Amino acid sequence: MATALILTGVGFFLEVINLVIHYKCPNCGADMAFNAETGKLSCHSCGREDDIENFPDEFIKAHFSEDEAKEYHCKNCGAILITETETTATTCSFCGAGVVLADRLSGKMAPSKVIPFAISKEEAMKAFKKWCRNGRLTPKGFMTADRIKNITGIYVPFWLYDLNSRVQVNAICTKVRTYTRGDYIYTETRYYDVYRDINLDYLKVPVDASEKMNDELMDKLEPYNYQELKDFKTPYLAGYIAEKYNYDEKELLPRAKAKIENYINAYINSTITGYSSVNYKDKRIDTINTHAYYTLLPVWMVYYDYDKSEHTFAMNGQTGKVVGKPPISFGKVVAWFGGIAGATFVALKIIALLMGGGLL
Amino acid sequence: MIRSFKGYGFIILFIILLTFSSSIVLADTYTKQRIYDFANLLTSEEIERLESMAQKYSTRRDTDFVILTTDHTEGKDIVEYMEDFYDDKALGYDKPHGNTAILTIDMNNRDVYLAGFYKGEEYLDDYRLDLIQDKITPDLSNGDFYKAFRKFIKTSYKYMGIRPGVDPDNILFKLGFQITTSLIVAGIVVGSMAYNTGGRVTVYDGTYRDFSNSRILNRRDTYLRTSVTKHKKPSNKNRSGGSGGSGISRGGGMTRGGHSHSGSRGKF
Repeated sequence: MATALILTGVGFFLEVINLVIHYKCPNCGADMAFNAETGKLSCHSCGREDDIENFPDEFIKAHFSEDEAKEYHCKNCGAILITETETTATTCSFCGAGVVLADRLSGKMAPSKVIPFAISKEEAMKAFKKWCRNGRLTPKGFMTADRIKNITGIYVPFWLYDLNSRVQVNAICTKVRTYTRGDYIYTETRYYDVYRDINLDYLKVPVDASEKMNDELMDKLEPYNYQELKDFKTPYLAGYIAEKYNYDEKELLPRAKAKIENYINAYINSTITGYSSVNYKDKRIDTINTHAYYTLLPVWMVYYDYDKSEHTFAMNGQTGKVVGKPPISFGKVVAWFGGIAGATFVALKIIALLMGGGLL
Repeated sequence: MIRSFKGYGFIILFIILLTFSSSIVLADTYTKQRIYDFANLLTSEEIERLESMAQKYSTRRDTDFVILTTDHTEGKDIVEYMEDFYDDKALGYDKPHGNTAILTIDMNNRDVYLAGFYKGEEYLDDYRLDLIQDKITPDLSNGDFYKAFRKFIKTSYKYMGIRPGVDPDNILFKLGFQITTSLIVAGIVVGSMAYNTGGRVTVYDGTYRDFSNSRILNRRDTYLRTSVTKHKKPSNKNRSGGSGGSGISRGGGMTRGGHSHSGSRGKF
């Protein structure tokens, strides 16, 4: 609550004042950061853990930097924070304290929801190494995962769209029956005029709103478990990097519509059953955006140097799902191909033998 | 995977050894005539080669593969001629009047007749003999008798390795099909593995759907009309299918000596 109040207050000063929020431990005064394992704000020094919903107001140190050139000062050590314009949370490169650049998260830029990290850095590292070992086509040298250059926890901005689609379709469908009378085979085709009026609601369809992030990679990270979707509070960001959106909800609406198009078609097909053929004459799909939530979703980015090139992987910070193209070993592809072809051939031979065929 | 490869290699090696050893053992025992070229369609060298080939394949199937050519059937029908020949010569691999597959050519009437006795009758029923006849007739028409006879021996040998009653032309038995299928399966599996290395999409069309509000508001299925087309049943009078092999069937018969056989008759 306290944080939210500060944020709304800050909107007023937006033009002139840049705000850095930093969390001090009420016990010992050390820096606090969000702990993915407990879901609380925790102090590395004394081990104190605080609920984010009830974190006392007076220990959130808001620092107003009076610089117009968008320069931020770390509240902890006073160093200048050099950030990209998209960054909304980072760690101070001098003292390591997790800081949130609150003015970039206020007003129109204020996220409404967040899914906190559920996987800590160590767990992410372990899960990534395990994933590397399971790669059936990845080269041996890659599987050891000993050249991970960097692993970064990022809150990636997403728009979650609530979409309502009204669908009206007209189709000519047929039912075909064949039967035999005497020396003739009869094919009877019955034609039907089929109409469906469908209401479809899709809730919280995520679309990545960051320019930097690869859309394909981000789409594959889905699904997130929305039960953990929380109202946005800045302490969740402490200790992580966060970005603000580059595209607003209107700009990304076409991408959200494109994402659900196949779902809609699958639903339409599932409502027309029992026919031999379906020929759509008319299909009207009206999709409107009923709500869009600006949401920060947790992603671990893993940068891995292998064979003189950098490979980028992303891990769902909530579920641990890993996506990204690992290198492919030619030798392993050949081995798998040969093995499967050989096994299939033997299996076919056995089937032929069982059916009474000759071996040669 | 590699282990099964090796295992298959062993099987092949085993078969090769087996066939070699059996032919070596029986090769020099005695020579029996199987090619009776009364019509002089073959050179002596060709007869030699066919004899050794027939010998080799006959031992593997316990059935003599016999070629009989003539240009005068002494006024008999080709079937009768063949039957009398079988009775007179007491053909057979295992015993006199035993397992035999015989191809008879009458150059005078340009008749061809294929027959199987005992094991030959069981494994080479009328349907299978029809298939073999279809395969060799073009060569016979071209006057390429040596090639046709080789094909007869080889194909009969192959069909006798397939359980009676099973269609020998089943695509599953074809080596080309087996190899192509294996390669296609491996290609699809490895291809999808490579495609999925980057992570799979695990959302489906129900992931984001609000099940409580998504529904059909209105539906209509109106019957319009019916159209009927008819076409004649394909007649299957020519071929009876691969169910034969028991008793006396359409193409076969019985010799005067009381030996039943299957058969397939044609012209070339």
